[in-house]
Amino acid sequence: MIHETLAATNAVVTLDIPLPDVFWGWYVTMNMWAKSIGTGLIFMLFLLLRKNPDEMKGLRTSTLIVSFIFMNIFLLFTLADLHQPFRMWHIFFYPHWTSAITVGAWMATIFVGLEFLMIVLGFQKKTEPFDKLLFWVTLLAIPVTLYTAGIMAEATARELWQMSTESVQMILAATLSGSAAIILLAGSKLSEKTQKFFGVILGLSALLAFIIYMSEYIFGAMKSEEVAAILQYVKGDGEYATMFWIGQWVAYILPMGLVALSRTSNSSSILKLAAILAIVGLWVVKHVWLVIPQLLPMS
Amino acid sequence: MQLGFLVDLHLCMGCKGCEIACKVENEVPLSTWRLRVKYVDVGTYPETKRTFTPLRCNHCENAPCERICPVSALHYIENGIVNIDRERCIGCAGCVMACPYGAIYIDPETQTADKCTYCAHRIASSMMPACVVACPVEANIFGDLDDPASNISQYIQDHRDVQVRKPEKGTNPHHFYVGAGQVNLNPLASERIEGYNLFNKITKLPLGGHHE
Repeated sequence: MIHETLAATNAVVTLDIPLPDVFWGWYVTMNMWAKSIGTGLIFMLFLLLRKNPDEMKGLRTSTLIVSFIFMNIFLLFTLADLHQPFRMWHIFFYPHWTSAITVGAWMATIFVGLEFLMIVLGFQKKTEPFDKLLFWVTLLAIPVTLYTAGIMAEATARELWQMSTESVQMILAATLSGSAAIILLAGSKLSEKTQKFFGVILGLSALLAFIIYMSEYIFGAMKSEEVAAILQYVKGDGEYATMFWIGQWVAYILPMGLVALSRTSNSSSILKLAAILAIVGLWVVKHVWLVIPQLLPMS
Repeated sequence: MQLGFLVDLHLCMGCKGCEIACKVENEVPLSTWRLRVKYVDVGTYPETKRTFTPLRCNHCENAPCERICPVSALHYIENGIVNIDRERCIGCAGCVMACPYGAIYIDPETQTADKCTYCAHRIASSMMPACVVACPVEANIFGDLDDPASNISQYIQDHRDVQVRKPEKGTNPHHFYVGAGQVNLNPLASERIEGYNLFNKITKLPLGGHHE
């Protein structure tokens, strides 16, 4: 901190009426969480197609429907968070292309449309066009997953969110929740080997995401004064410290351990428990990281 | 033309005349402010002093709010003002999140983003912004930054300690301060002690969307 905060000079704000602080609350957390599951399931279905297409039987339509539902939850919360939801159409008629919100809204709409088309193909048992379209939908799922990191990066007031780390975290959130969701969704339809494969994706996603959060936690304060001040909310007796660690344990640490245990004990039940914890914990982790930069006074 | 603002903090006495004039001129609803004066007390009794800092939109050259707005509700006009089109705004609060100065709010009556426009409607009628007119000590200096003979340009030339808020953000604000220190410009340079504010119980009008 700088010299005015020293006891000798003692600067205290005695009158300031900052505008309301947390503007992006749990609606936006729901938005990010649901989108991670929605696109993550597409990534996993594509991996399954490449790894073992025989096991796709019975999973194509059901996986797409679950992904479609979560993408619509994402869109619903996005809409609900607007103060003028009935003007949502302005994004399509007055688009401003420097905004990641605009680009994301367009991509997500196309993505959901393609998903709907794939569901129709799935019901018509048209496997070949379904699988061809899955490739393009998987490609589109990458920017759809990433664009929220772009929005956070454009929120330049919140220095904690950097495009480079947030984009990796968005992809890891998708692979974590996607692998967890397909483990729960497909269950016994998958061979033991494939279940273990998705377990490895779950464990590695948790490990990498945990490493990034810990890197920010330990070294983030060295980046800037603002980041140092923000991280105080998750350190010591900070307002969000307990929630932060609950999130880290439930989303990452426990699932990592349970995935390892499921491999040694050949237990699909333990793997499913890891999957449930990862999905629940991801919400908590995302929420804490979303809220803490908004607690900092801007003026 | 590039309109800009300069506040000489040596002159400002914290009367809040500018704040009230802005409220009245722009019909700013209860619990929201386009312009407000921050008080920071510095020192330990009896060696204390109170500093005053009027805070408003900086009308940045590289405005993060304009960049993030998905529908161009926030846009530049030809005189350099970052203006807002309330009819187009969808209330996503992206601009609120992007502004490093906390200068944008959601109007609880219209449920759209709003902020200081340098009184663009008055300027269009060749009038000065309301806060400039109201200031009893002429601490607010407003004019064309592209014109070297304008009051604001002269003032900048004549003073060495001209600063902007958060220059590290790369926003290139068109709002300057003379006589400012870290306590004036850096929100992290002073403590905010719960219960030590002159106004502690602020009534906030309900907003749409979701807030915590």
